[in-house]
Formats: sequence, C-alpha cells, structure tokens
Amino acid sequence: MEILDRLVQALYSGVLNGSVYGLMAIGLTLIWGSLRMLNLAHGALYIAGAYIAYGVLGGLGLPVPVTFALAVGGAALVGLFIQLILINPILEKPGRDSAALIATLAASIIVQSTILLIFGGQTKQLPPVVDGGFKVGTTLISYQGLVVIGAAVVCLLLMTIFLRASRLGLAIRAISQNMDAAKLMGIPIVPAFVVVMVISAALAGLAGVLLGSILFFTPSGGFTPMLMAMVVTIFGGLGSVGGTIWAAYIIGLMESFLAVYVGPSWALPGIFLFMIAMLVIRPNGLLGLGEVRRL
Amino acid sequence: MLKVTDLEAGYGGSQVLHALSLHVGDGETVVVLGPNGHGKSTLLRAISGLIRPSAGRVEFNGVDLTRLPTEQIVGSGVVHIPQGDLPFPEMTVLENLLVGAYRPGAWSERAERIEKVFHLFPALAERKRQLARSLSGGERRMLALGRGLMSKARLLMIDEPSLGLAPLVTEQVYETIDEIKRSGLAILLVDENAEHVAGLADRMYLLEAGVLVREGAAADLLRDEALLAAYLG
Amino acid sequence: MIEANAPRQGQALPRSAGDRPRLRPAARPWAEPSWLGIGIVAVAMLILPWALTLVDGGNYVTHLIITFFVWGIVAQCWNLIMGVSGVYSFGQLALFQVGAFTTGVLSFSVGVSPWVSIWAAPIAAVAAALIIGLPTLRLRGIYVVLLTLAFHELLRNWITTGPQWISGGGYGLARVPRLGFDRLLGPQYERVFYYYTGLVLFGVATYAIWRVLNSPIGLAFRALRDSEDYAISRGVDPFRFKLFLFAFSAFFTGLAGGFSAHYNGLASTSLFDFGVMINLLVMIVLGGWGTFAGPIFGTAILTFLTELLRAFDLYRILALGVAMAVIAVAAPEGLVPVLTRAFHSLFGVLFEADEPPAT
Repeated sequence: MEILDRLVQALYSGVLNGSVYGLMAIGLTLIWGSLRMLNLAHGALYIAGAYIAYGVLGGLGLPVPVTFALAVGGAALVGLFIQLILINPILEKPGRDSAALIATLAASIIVQSTILLIFGGQTKQLPPVVDGGFKVGTTLISYQGLVVIGAAVVCLLLMTIFLRASRLGLAIRAISQNMDAAKLMGIPIVPAFVVVMVISAALAGLAGVLLGSILFFTPSGGFTPMLMAMVVTIFGGLGSVGGTIWAAYIIGLMESFLAVYVGPSWALPGIFLFMIAMLVIRPNGLLGLGEVRRL
Repeated sequence: MLKVTDLEAGYGGSQVLHALSLHVGDGETVVVLGPNGHGKSTLLRAISGLIRPSAGRVEFNGVDLTRLPTEQIVGSGVVHIPQGDLPFPEMTVLENLLVGAYRPGAWSERAERIEKVFHLFPALAERKRQLARSLSGGERRMLALGRGLMSKARLLMIDEPSLGLAPLVTEQVYETIDEIKRSGLAILLVDENAEHVAGLADRMYLLEAGVLVREGAAADLLRDEALLAAYLG
Repeated sequence: MIEANAPRQGQALPRSAGDRPRLRPAARPWAEPSWLGIGIVAVAMLILPWALTLVDGGNYVTHLIITFFVWGIVAQCWNLIMGVSGVYSFGQLALFQVGAFTTGVLSFSVGVSPWVSIWAAPIAAVAAALIIGLPTLRLRGIYVVLLTLAFHELLRNWITTGPQWISGGGYGLARVPRLGFDRLLGPQYERVFYYYTGLVLFGVATYAIWRVLNSPIGLAFRALRDSEDYAISRGVDPFRFKLFLFAFSAFFTGLAGGFSAHYNGLASTSLFDFGVMINLLVMIVLGGWGTFAGPIFGTAILTFLTELLRAFDLYRILALGVAMAVIAVAAPEGLVPVLTRAFHSLFGVLFEADEPPAT
C-alpha cells in the first residue's frame, strides 16, 4: 500500500539521517559546552573522514573495516592539529570568540582546498561494508544502511556511557557546567579541550565515512551536514548530550517526512524555517543548559 | 606550610591586593577578617590560581605555586572552596563529590572518601541522587565543603562559609568546619564576621583595602574592644 | 549621553588613548589628511579611467578598480556589522544577491529600465534585512551565525531552484540589461562611466559609514561589541541599534549588488558559493577587523592579489585559508592596526613625544 510504503521510506531515511546527525552533533555540543566555541571546521572534518577512507582504499587496498578505522583516526588527527595549532594559542586572548570563528573557518578552508587539490572535485563514493539489501514494499533497505544505523547507535551509546561513568567524561561534563569549579577540582583544562576536540573530530569523521558509502560526496560536501548538525545541537540544547541525541532523530525524521510527503526540495527549507520559529519561541532548545551567556 | 609573600593581584586595570604577606602553619587554622569588597576572595583566588598574581610569591611546603595553573596547585594539596559554592548544577550530589576526587591520588580512594563525607554531612547522603541545582543554600554549602574534602587536601581555603545562610544552618556549617579542623587539616578561612570564627581560629589577620593591617594570635585580637565592635554582629 | 568608556563599579578608570605618547600634529602630517591631499587624490581618481583607456590592458585595470568599488562597499558593510558591532552575521552575501536579483528580475524578466530597477535593489535588501533581523538580532551570537547561514542557504536554494524568470535555469540571469553607457561616447569609453558610477557609490557608502562610525551611534556600536551587558545598563538598546545597523549596511550592500548586476550584465548564483564568502571575510580580517580603513585596505589587497595569483587559482583558496589562520592566531586585529602601531612606534623614536609616556 502506498501509505505504508511512504511511511517506511520516511522512517528509514529519518533514522538513517538522524543517526549520522547525532554523531556529528554530539561533537559540536561537546565543543560548545566545554570550549564555548562554535566549530566551523566540523563539516570539513566530516568530509575528511570520507576522503581519507577513499584515499586509503585506493592507495593501500586494505580491508574495508580497517580502512574505515584509519579514516576515523585520520579525522581525529586533523582535529588534533587544528586544536593545537589554531585554537590553543588563542584561548587566552581577548576577542577570542571572533578569533575562534575565523580560525575554525580558516581550518575548514584549508582542509577542504587540500582535499580538492589531492582528490579533485568530482563526486566520489565509498564501497559499502556489506552489499545488498531487502525491500519493504517499494523501499530499498540496504544492509549498509543498517550497518550505518547500528554503528551510529553503538557509538552514541558508548559516548553517553563514557560521559556518565568515566573519570574523563565526568571531567568534561564538569568543565562545561562550571569551568572555574572544574579548575578548582584539579581538572587540567587545556588537555581536556584537546580530548574533546579529538573525540569530536573522530565522531565527525566516522559520520563522514558511514554516510560516504551511501551518498556521493564532494570536497565541499561537509557544509550542509554541518549546518544540520548545528540545527540539531541548538534544538537539543547547546551543551546537553542527551537532548542532542533526541534532537538528532527528531530532526532526521522531520527532514525525511518533509522530503517524502511534501517534496525533496522542501526538506531543508522546512527544517530551517522550523529552527527559526523554535529560536524565536524557545531559544534554549529542548533540553538546553539554561541561559547561554557567551557567544 | 603556606607562605605568601608580597602578593599583588587585581582585575583588569585595578589592583586589589597590595604587598600582602601571610603564612599558615601545619594544622593551623588561620582566619582573615575583612569587610566586603576589600579583597578577601581575591586573596584566595590569587593563591589557587583562578587569577594570576601580578607580583609576589606563593609557596606551599617549599614548592613555588605562584604562576602555576590551578590544576597543579590543587594537585599539591591546596584546595579552594569558593564563594558561591560553584556546584555543577546538572550533576547529582554524588557526581559532584566524585569530581572532587578527580586527581589520581584521590580517585583511587574515592569510595572511602565518599563514606567519610557522607558521615560528616548526613544530609548529603540522603540526597546523593539529587541534582545539585535543586539543593537549598545550606545543602549547597555542605556540598561545596564535602567536594573540597574529596581531594587529598593538605590546606583547605574556605571563602565566607556563612554567606547567605540562615543562622541555624550557619551554626552547623561552622561546627562541621570545627570537626574538619580537629581532624588535623590546615585551614585558611576568610570571613566578614568574627562571631563564629572566634572559637576556630588559631591566628587571625585583618584585611582592609587589600592590605593586611593587623595580625596576631586569635586570643589577643579578640580581646581588642574596638575590633570586637567593628567585626561582630 | 552614552559614555562607552565610563568605569565599571569596582574598577579603576581604564587608560584612555591620551596616555600613549602622541606626536604633535605638526610632526606627523601623514595622520591628519589635508584638504590639499584629498583634493589631489580626488582629481587623480577622476582622471585615472581616461588615462587607462590609452594604455594597453588599461581597460582591465579599470575593471579591477570597479570590482574593488563593489566589494569594498560590501566588505565595509559587513565589517560594520561583524567587526564593529560584534554581530556574527553571515547573511551579507545573501543580501547582496537580493539586490542583484531584484534588479535583475525587474529589468530582465519584467522589462523595467535598469536605471529605475536599480533603486529597487537596496530597498529589497533592506526589507530582507528587516525580515531576517527582527527574529534574529534579539538572540545571542551563536544563534545569529546559524540563522544567517540558514537564510543564506534558503535564499540560494530558492533562487537556484526557482522558476526560469528568477533562476535562469539555475545559474542566474545571464543577460541583465546594462546601463547603456556605450551609447554616450562609444563602447571603448563605456567602462569609464561605470567607473564613475562605481566611484560615486563607493564614495557615498564610505562617507556614510565613516559618519556613522564617528557619531554617537558608532560609539554605541563599539560599546555593544566590547561589553553588551554594560552597554545595556547604560541605556543602550542593543536590539534597535543592531536592527538599524543591519538595515543600514543592507542598503548599501543591496545597492552594490544591483550595480554589480548591471555592470557585469548578470546576476549569478555562483556568488552564493562559500568561496566568495571566504574571500569577503578575508578582506575584512586581513585589513583590520572592526576598523574603518581595514576593509578598504583588505579589499584592495585581495582584489589585486587575486589577479596576480590567477594562474594559481586552486592554490589561491588554500593560501587564503592559511592567511586567515595566521591572522587569527598571530594578529587577530588585522593588518591595519598592526601596521599603524608599527608605524607609530617606529616614527615615535624619531620625533619628540608630546607628553611623557604613561607609567
């Protein structure tokens, strides 16, 4: 039946997109929560994951799971460089909000144009880990898609457990809730920032690798996912990990329902209009951490 | 233990502390009295590294702490319990206390330390799964103190423990501080009012306009009529 | 009266500019522009295009200068919002395109004379600015980034996938009527008139911005940027100021967009590209974030540098990125303040100071 078909299609893509948005948005919200900074290089890290995987596959021919792991590690390394070279030096300076914006924007340009120089501008795609799929009505559900959802869900759960139950996770949450108090507990702030950035970059890279086997990608392809991740982050409340995960799936489903029931070109505009409305009515988002004072 | 020499510190363009020198001995309880706005909090913040001193020296058991980042100062055993408590609002009481034990030495002993803190503050034990932002003023104060005790503190610096609390709760807080003192921990306490600290202090300083104007054994200072008038009630 | 430098409670008076050693005005003629100097520059600017028509390749230089005029206006406007008042808006390019496409559609698809439709450009841009500004400017910084980026995307989406008479098939309107200057003195002198039009627009915009920066409003803007909370407590209403500012800069941006559409004969969707935004951002950041002369300086450098590096186009964006990174880390205030200070300190050694340096 067509009604069921569309529903399945919308649900499937919604959960798929939501999973990927969740991975990206967690990183953004962690960076925002602890560093009080908007990371404009996030999209570049996402696409870097996809391209590193592509390059490793083409160049070294390693088995796919190893390649993906390397790509995630590579993205994390890029994030590390960005943090050490561009962000740490400006942390103590006045006017660091705008400097951080410019610095992360610059990082994004550097990463993207380097990718362009190395790989060229044509669209690429990564091979799936698992081939094939099955149909539910007229909707094709690929095994790769299920792998993506599964991997994302596992990672999101791991992140949540990490933040709730580990010493480092506790420290990161402490920093984002009260920096001075965190300092007084003896938590080393700058190393914590580096950890946050590396984790965030790894998650973004993972998102890029996962989605790269389903969608085509180009060097500038990280911009729109980053924008969506920002929407998710704000909707879920800047700094709140739990809220962000919920928000990711809600926005993912909203986007796919709009695409399926209203029209594909209405998906993005619809989300943005929704976001504008939400910001006007309830600026703290779903489960936000209260009044956002800086930036 | 703690030796502060000629400390100068301030915010932005204005200097608050001027050539300030004090010391706290092993196991001593030293109280710094002073009116509001005269630099009491600034003093503690300069020692714990939340603000950087512009001149002077802070030494703890021979180690120069003066321009170190806060995490290292805490690591050497100087624990600052700040004004306003600064709880982690979205964490439970238990989680707040756990963060207090972040440093490796304390972390491995965290279970015992939590037991001790709960023993000292039964009210916290009852509320261990409650979010910090829903605690009352007195409970927050206890949380701040308990959190500070979770680390391997050798010197506890407490900023105005009675600020904003009802009289009954204030009594309890000072009683607890007394218990802490009796356990042998050195304490540097800053306060505005001499009433409650009279029994606690071994030595006292008076801080006015960022300068230490008097110092001496607590017993001596407390006999001073003028002082009693100015700093009591 | 708004006193942006008044002390906060508990703090000493901040040191004012008078504490620095200053050269006596007579000893530093380069700082105080004389009317003679301005006059000479003005005359030179007026004669230049004619002189260039006589030189081989001079036409191209004129084109570069006109490009400089257009982007110089946009850069100054964006700087007014981001650098001076600290509103992190990324919607400037979108407003430019609103201007370009409004006049493009009116003159190309509807058939209105370009001299009339060009005035619709700034008006449409201001309207768009008010529409974005009303919900957005009440919110704190990061939300503004998001919302203006979203607006940019939305507009790009809408124009690119719109009906033929707007989108021209997705690439934009390709035969926007030009301003008819070729009928005046012949096609070889056409560019001279575009030059003058551009010069007038640039001059008016620059002057207007200069006036705003040095007015009480300008002080208020700087107060807003330096400390929003304090400015609010002194009676500055941030929202109305920001809205005014946003609309003000949209006006000239839209006008520049309209002029650009008629000069180039096209309203292109490729101007939505992120690369263009980066270019613009570098113009502001390189020259001097938040200063008056900064964006002008930055635009000039970038426009002429782009030409020199045309062969290395792929590396150009990478180089821009690196330049931006270096500036963000090493000299966040941009080149103009850094050079100005270097200049002052260098020449300060050679001339007597007015007052003894403050301790």
